[in-house]
This record gives sequence, structure tokens and C-alpha cells, in this order.
Amino acid sequence: MPKLQRLLYISAESTHPQSPALSAAIYEPVADSVTQLDPTSSALPYDSVHAAIIDGWRLIQAPDQWAGIADEAAGDVIGYQFILEKMQDYDPQ
Amino acid sequence: MTNTVSRQLMTDDEMASFVINGYHIVKPGLPTGFNQEVYDELKALPSNPGDGIYEAVPKLKQVYESPEMHGALTSLLGPGYQMFPHRHCHRNSPGTLSQQIHQDNLNDLRIRDGQVRAPDKVELVLAMYYPQDVASNMGPTVVLPGTHMLKAMPDRMASQGNFKQQYTATVDAGSVVILHYDIWHAGSANTSDTVRYMLKFLFQRANLPDVPSWKHDSENNANIRQRLESESPMTLQRSLNAKQRHMRLRMWNYLTGSARIDMSYRDKWQGPWR
Repeated sequence: MPKLQRLLYISAESTHPQSPALSAAIYEPVADSVTQLDPTSSALPYDSVHAAIIDGWRLIQAPDQWAGIADEAAGDVIGYQFILEKMQDYDPQ
Repeated sequence: MTNTVSRQLMTDDEMASFVINGYHIVKPGLPTGFNQEVYDELKALPSNPGDGIYEAVPKLKQVYESPEMHGALTSLLGPGYQMFPHRHCHRNSPGTLSQQIHQDNLNDLRIRDGQVRAPDKVELVLAMYYPQDVASNMGPTVVLPGTHMLKAMPDRMASQGNFKQQYTATVDAGSVVILHYDIWHAGSANTSDTVRYMLKFLFQRANLPDVPSWKHDSENNANIRQRLESESPMTLQRSLNAKQRHMRLRMWNYLTGSARIDMSYRDKWQGPWR
């Protein structure tokens, strides 16, 4: 059974991994899987990046502290985005 | 202004909530069965009439010209507000996927970047009428409260998924959700077996505000200032919170015209230790 990469995007209140999560999305390595806004629940899978790490997710990208600072007029992005992964056995069937 | 309409004007607290959250919900008094009749007429349309939806379904006038809507729109946009020529009937069929969170954009070629944002004003609002009950699995509109004061970059935020404090418009048939035009929102996934309609109309201000156009009482000013300075409808990073609070105060004083609140410095910390 191959190990495939699950992705977890968490946008947090600050660059601190223990700051509260503001938004989150999990991307599954499954064909036809769709990750999108879920209007049936606004609960997030984890309250913080730290809580996700405790559950076995590995950080693969931390937010760029300088992103957007040079061009404030361009717009706003809510939260600081961390990307995490978890390798998991997946049955291709 | 008729007495019927003046009774429907918004209160100071409702206006402050709109300034803070960027939306307000109205329930026009409509006859029994009215919403179902509108739903049936929409379902019978052979194609999308685009801006012609108002003429294609004349019953919609009863919604948008109701005293409740007139009161709310007068409060938000002042007397003499106008219906904007663009309208849209959103038909969200079973199986429809969620949109990305976005701000609407008129893409007006006369304007640089196609759109002027009004983070400290109320110039244009969206009025979304739902002719059927909207359950959470029927593709309700999702709104990020307080984001009307920010400028969205939808493509940069496309990976973000759900927001913890998003507002999901699960509303009763006949509800109209009035949104500041710049608020971040999205139509969401319809996983039910029912078509969900939403009629989107735009209304614009005709005149600069000179006095409050709602049921205003300056006795409420201290409480309003306290709310504008402290409420958080959705947690944001501190840098955006500061921007948001600043824009709220500016928006309130824009709306109140000559009745503006004195926003000069005050000592908020003197008193018992906290």
C-alpha cells in the first residue's frame, strides 16, 4: 500500500505556531477529492498549528513574515499560512 | 417619508452592527404563499433573463419595494437611493461546488482596476432575497463578517478552506440579506437535492449623507463608540484588526454627517486596575 501525502493548510492569527487557527483545509491524495468551503460546519480540524503537530502533522512551509509588506495597496490576506503534511497509507482502490 | 417607512428605519444599534459586520437581515412582510409562487416562477424560466429578472418576475417588486426594505435601504443609503441596473438570479443546483471567497467586482472600464472600494463608506449594497428556506446543505451564501473594510485577493486565499467565524446565511424563505458591496463572500456547495435560488439586486446612494438617515439618538453615542472600538465579529491578525477598527469609526462618522461622534483621543485606561 503506497504512502501518500495529505496536506493541511492552516492560516493562523500570527506567525506563532501556537496562535489560534483562523481557517483550515485538508487536501486528500484521492482522485476526484474536492476541498472547498463547507457550509454545514465551520469547525476547524485543529485549533492551532501546534495542535496539528502534536497529532503527527509535519510542518513543510512556514509563513513568510515579509509577504505583502512592500505592497500593502495590493490587498489583504487573512491569517498567516502554514502548510503541513502527513504521510499515510492509501489503498489505490 | 411615510410613517410606515419611518417605523422600519434601522436603530443606532442595528446601524452599528452593519458597520461592524457588513450585513443586515430584513424580513419583508409578504403574503402567505408568496415565496413559493416566486420560486415556481423562477423554476419555470426557460433561460437566465440576466438584468431583466425584475421584469421577468414582477412579483419581486413586492420584496424590493416593501416598507421593510425601504426602511433598511433608506437607513443605509439615505433618501433617494436608487436600484442599480445590474441584477442577477443565482440558480444553485444540486451538485454545485463552492465558489472561492471573493468581493464582487463590477469591472467598470472607466475605473482603474475596474472597481472603487469604499472601506469607510456605504455607497452600494447587495440585497440578496431567498425565496425558499436555505438549509446549510443547500449552498447558502457564506460571508466573512467585517471584511468589507479590507481588499480581497481571492486567488491568494483559494487554499484556505473554512473560516472559523464565517457567517453562513441559513435563512427562512422571504429573507433578504443586505451586504456592504465590498464584503468577502461566496456561494457554497449545494449537496441537497433542491435548487436554491438567490436574487441579487444592487442599490446605490444618491446623495452624500448630511444627517443620520435612521432612527438616531445622540444619547447612544458613547455606547456606539464603545462597540465600534471593541467588537470583533471575526478574529483577524492584529494588523488587520487595527485597520478595521479605524475604518469603522470613519464609516460611522461618514454616515452620521453633521451628527458625527467626537472621536478625538480619550483615556480608556484610567480607573480600576484590570
